[in-house]
This record gives sequence, C-alpha cells and structure tokens, in this order.
Amino acid sequence: MAATTAARQTRVRRVPEVPRIMKQGRIAPWLYLGPALIVMITFIVYPGFNTLYLSFRNIDGTNWATQACVAGEPCWGILENYRYALTSQIMLTAFLNNLKWIFIMVPGTVLGGLLIATLANRVRYEAFAKSIIFLPMAISFVGAGVIWKFVYDYGSGPNQIGLLNALVTSLGGQPVSWLTEPAINTVALIIVGVWMSTGFCMTILSAAIKNVPADLLEAASVDGANAWVSFWRITVPVILPTITVVTTTMVINVLKIFDIVYIMTGGNYGTEVIANRMYQEQYTSFNTGRAAAIAVVLIIIIIPAMYFNIRRFRAEEAMR
Amino acid sequence: MRKRSWILLLVLVLSAALTVPAQAQSSSIDCKGAAKGDTVSMLYQWSGQEEARLNQILKPLADACGLVFKPESTRDQALLDTRVQAGTPPDIAFWTLASAQRYQDKLFTMDSLGADKSAYPDFFVQNGTVNGKWLALPVKADIKTIIWYSPAVFKAKGYTVPKTWDELDALVEKMVANKDVPWSMGFESGDATGWTGSDFIQDILLVKQGPQYVNDIIAGKVPYNDKGVKEAYEIYGKWAKDPKYTVGGAQGTLSTAFLDAIYKPFMDPPQAMMVKQSGFAGGEIQKKFPDLKYGEDYDFFQVPGAKGLQGGADLMLSFSDKPAVKALVTYLASPAGAIAWAEAGFDESPNKAAVGHYKDPQLQKKAEILANTSGFTYDIGDTIPGGFGKAEWTAIVNYVNGKDLDTELAAVAKVQAEVLKPAAATMAATAAK
Repeated sequence: MAATTAARQTRVRRVPEVPRIMKQGRIAPWLYLGPALIVMITFIVYPGFNTLYLSFRNIDGTNWATQACVAGEPCWGILENYRYALTSQIMLTAFLNNLKWIFIMVPGTVLGGLLIATLANRVRYEAFAKSIIFLPMAISFVGAGVIWKFVYDYGSGPNQIGLLNALVTSLGGQPVSWLTEPAINTVALIIVGVWMSTGFCMTILSAAIKNVPADLLEAASVDGANAWVSFWRITVPVILPTITVVTTTMVINVLKIFDIVYIMTGGNYGTEVIANRMYQEQYTSFNTGRAAAIAVVLIIIIIPAMYFNIRRFRAEEAMR
Repeated sequence: MRKRSWILLLVLVLSAALTVPAQAQSSSIDCKGAAKGDTVSMLYQWSGQEEARLNQILKPLADACGLVFKPESTRDQALLDTRVQAGTPPDIAFWTLASAQRYQDKLFTMDSLGADKSAYPDFFVQNGTVNGKWLALPVKADIKTIIWYSPAVFKAKGYTVPKTWDELDALVEKMVANKDVPWSMGFESGDATGWTGSDFIQDILLVKQGPQYVNDIIAGKVPYNDKGVKEAYEIYGKWAKDPKYTVGGAQGTLSTAFLDAIYKPFMDPPQAMMVKQSGFAGGEIQKKFPDLKYGEDYDFFQVPGAKGLQGGADLMLSFSDKPAVKALVTYLASPAGAIAWAEAGFDESPNKAAVGHYKDPQLQKKAEILANTSGFTYDIGDTIPGGFGKAEWTAIVNYVNGKDLDTELAAVAKVQAEVLKPAAATMAATAAK
C-alpha cells in the first residue's frame, strides 16, 4: 500500500516533463537575486554597518570612542562621537541651517514648479518656457556654485565684478558681502538651490497636470467653476500624490545638500550644513569616528522621509 | 724654493677646484644597491612647473642609477589617506607633518634610509621627529614670516622699511594718517578659508612671544586661549576689521580671495601698501604683473621683530625601505641633491649645503633669512592633527566676522585639548614599554 502510493507520487511528479533547470526550486530565485544581492551587500549593507561600527570608535578607528573623552568634560562613553554630532555648537548650527534649507527650498521649488507648470500649460510657447526653467538642471551643482559665486561676488576695491553688487551700486546702494553676512548668506545659498531644482519639480508636476482627466475639468467649467476654483478643487487634489512624492524627494535632497555650501562658503560664516560637516570631519580633520556618527545621524533623519516617499510612490503606482 | 712652493700650491688649489665639483656631480651619488630599472612610486601635490623642477632635481639620480620614478600628482588631500587605508601606499609621499604623525607606525625613519641629520638645521630635524623617530625629511621649504611691499611706492610716499615691531606699528599709523590703506588682507580660499589670518597671527606670536611659545601651543603645553594668543588676535583684529587699516574692512578681509589680496599693493594706483604673505607671493605678483621688476616694484622684508620664522615645509615620508628608496633619500639629503634643488629654484632647500647656490635673487634672499634664523615653526594648524586647523580657521573667520573672541578661542582650545590628549596618552604608553 505504502509502496504504491509512493510509486504514484513519483509518477505524478514526473508527468510535466519540464527540464530540471527550468524548475523553480529553492536555489533558482537566489541565482536570479544573486548579482543584485552581491552588489547591495558590498556597496550598501557592508559599508552601512561598518559606518555604524566606526561611529562608536575613536578618531582613526583604533579604539572605542570612550578614549576621546577629556577629564572634566561631559562624556557619553562609547557614544562620545554622538555627543559631538548632536550637541556641539557647529552641529547645532548645521541642524538649524538644514531646517532653514527645508523650510525655504522645499516650498520654493515645489510651489515654484507647480506655478510654472500650471502657467506654462496654458501658453503656446510651453516647451520653450519649460526648457528655460529646466536648463539649470543640466549644470552640475558644483558648476552652479561657481557661477553664483561670481553673481554674489563682493569686491573690496572700487570695482564690483559681481552681478548683484553691480546692480546694487548702479542703483546707488552700498555693495553687500552676500556670502559672509550671517544674516543673509544661508538664504543666498538657498536661492541657488531653488534656481537649480525648480526645473525638476516643474517637469514632474507638469506631467501630472497633463494627466488630470479633461472630462473632470470640463464638467467643472460647465458647472461654472473658474480657473482658480478648478485649480484648487480639481487639479491639486488629483495630483496630490505627485506633489507629495516631489516634496519628500526634495526634503531628502535638501537634507543631503553639500555641493553648493562646500563650493560657495566651505561652511564658513555660519552656513554649515550636516553633509558638509561630515566631509570636513572625514577629509579635513581626518576624524573618522565623528564623520561616521554624523553620517548615521543624517541617515536616521532621512529614513522617515524616505519611508514616506516610497509608500506614496507605491500608492501612486497602485492607482495607475 | 719659494717660487716653486707657490706653483705647487697653485696646482693643488686648481686641481682641487677642478675635481671637487666633478666628484660632486658623479661619484657622490650612491645607488645603495638599487638595480637598473627599479621603480619608486611617489605621491605629491605639485604640478606643472613644480613637477618639471622636481624632475630636473631627480634627473642626475635617475641617470646614475637607472631608477624609474612613477610619480602621481594630485590636488586631493584625501588621496594619501585612501591609499594607506587600502594598503597600497606609495613608496614615497611628499606630504605634511600631520601625516607623519598619523602614519608613524607605517613609516621608515630617515636615518635608516641613509639621510644624515647633520645636513639640516636642528629645528628642522626636531620638527620632523615623531616620538623619537625622525620620519620626515624636509625637502622644500617656504617662509611665511615676510611682508611684501613696493619699494617704488614706499620711496614715492616717503615710507621706510621697519626694523622693529614698534617701527612697523608706527609705519601703519603713519599710513593711516596719510589716508593710505596699510594692509591688503584676504581670507577666501574655499574650505581652507581663514589660513591667511592664522598665518598672520602666528607671525605676531613669533614677535610677541617667540618660537618656544608657538611650539608649546603645538605640544599642548600652552592652551590656545592663553592671554598671549588673545593679544595676538586683538592686534590682528584691530587691523583686519577696520577699513582704515585694511581694504574693505572686515567684509573685505573675509570675502577677498587670498590671491586677489596679493595683487592689491601692486596695482596702479596701489589699493594697499603691504601684504603679509608667504614666499610664493613673489611668483604670483610676477605672473599677474609681468612688467614689474623684483627689487624695484616689488620686494619683501622679514616681519620685523620676529624671533624666529614660520614656514611650511614639504616633507618626504617613506612607506618603503627598498634600495631604490634608500638611494633617493640618500641623494636628496646629500650636498649634491641640495645643490641640485637650489639650482632648480624649487623654493628653498632646508639642507645647509644649498645656501649660495640659488640662481634667483628672491630665493637667495629668503635662503639668507632662513640661514640666519634662530628658530623655525611650522604652521600651528597644519601640525596639530584631528581638526585643529579647521577649528583655528573657523575661529579667525568668526572673530573677524564680529563674534566674541573669548568664546571662539575657548572653542579652539577645546579641540586642542581633545586632539592632543590621546597623543600624550600614546606617548606615555610607548614610554612605559
């Protein structure tokens, strides 16, 4: 009895004559995943964990961070690098500046992009107008930093070669040292960021606006809604998932902002940001422990934005 | 009898004169057993003309021993670190003292590679010694404790080169009274912004306190917020923050690029009377104003009253002790190498044998200042590792930008204590062994 059942089972298993290699056993999926996993583990997972480990180590990774404690000063033991990353004066400045970047650059780019996308949607020279706005995207952040450094240039001599100061002096004003005055320099840098990234937001939002069903808009206008009302009551709600994705993407980009600050002020004059501090700790001060701790803090700050971003993105995909 | 001895003496002197240089050229190069075709990989931050000069200096060695140099030039400060971390350091790096401290366990001592201490002034050997090991051979030096000015402008306006600090102070005040701006200052230098300020302050420390004080700061014996340091900042700040004393006042100092600051005293009309800048400024002035003549239109004097010099030196560090490297170290430390260095005009050679062999009058003048100094200190910020330099620049930038001096200096002193504490601990640990 038992023997016949076994025999039947064998026969049943043999019936679909599929070559063995094509059968999806336990191993085959891993073979497909393998290359991606190897790349991920080598370049993302391993460095990630190593960074976490180094953040608990001292200046060059030869001992625990506790060693960096100075007698008579507060000490967080093995978390000493995090004491620096979370409580030092320069890092507090960096956090504050990153907040400024988020609160000015994100609304600036998203609202600016939305405005331009909406307006351009109604004119005949749309492609041309959008190209102009998109153009800065083709320049690297470093290139843009150099260009704007000239725009903001402050000459201590009689001649102003900076575009902005040339304007100011031709209108009879006093030249301003835009990049060194703590009251205005961070905003001056953020303007460069807005100039760079508005095109990106505009392109994506413009595509979403074009996807708003025409019948909805027609129905609204039949019901007597003017452009203003149908924009707020129809267009915006329909493209809201896209707006959210663009916003969270910008938040992530802004949290990581580095190039503009590094090129234009080097983080001096109170313009420090988290990513620039991380670079300075690693490559100017050769303090691996602190740089790693700042990197970990930066990742932790970014994770919520990333999670939200991916979730919204999936929701948007599901809607299609 | 008398006549014959004269002739004999003449023959002896002549033959000596003829043979000595010939010997210096050929037989003084010791290949240390390196075989023809042996390679030496080198990493440095020189390029263009600097690289050409280095090649000129190394050519006699390459010809004599058949060595092949594999140089790599980079502007990336982080590259050496990356290479060492990866386990593939170059045989030789022309780099900084901070690297010598950082890699002290991986480097070979210069004595073991064939360099002779007595060829260099004591302070150079002392400065290159880490925990009792001489790891860094000074190959090229430049001095910072000098002030550039225009002799033509000084003459026209009736100013004279000051001999003491008080005379300098009086000269500055006289210029201000005449409505001339005495100083041209400029900090802007990317993420190294502030270094011209810290250079100036170190020179003031050399005037007011002397080289021992500066070396005590480097060793951590004097905290950076000591009253001597504060005094130097205040002297500097008086000039750097006031448009009467420097072009554009504080904002001018902060936002002017250090190169632009070098040009201002030599423009027509001059925008300032003096600029304190290292020896390299001469080359920059010549490049910008090819018509100006050294000695007439531009010249320099030592910061008056300085009891020692501040300077930078490019140091040779060796990660290998193979014969080809030994041959290179031995050659560069020998009189032949020093003379080749002086003749190539690649800044100053700290080697004692180089004096008198410079072809360029500027280099010769600097060599004399260097030969006559009683002390030499490296840049404080370059020497203390672990973020001190950056902290120092931040402090000077913030101070000139109007922040409170005591707070800024305390912040630097904190970094100084932090980074020098582990070093002191390792020193104690090695001593205990």
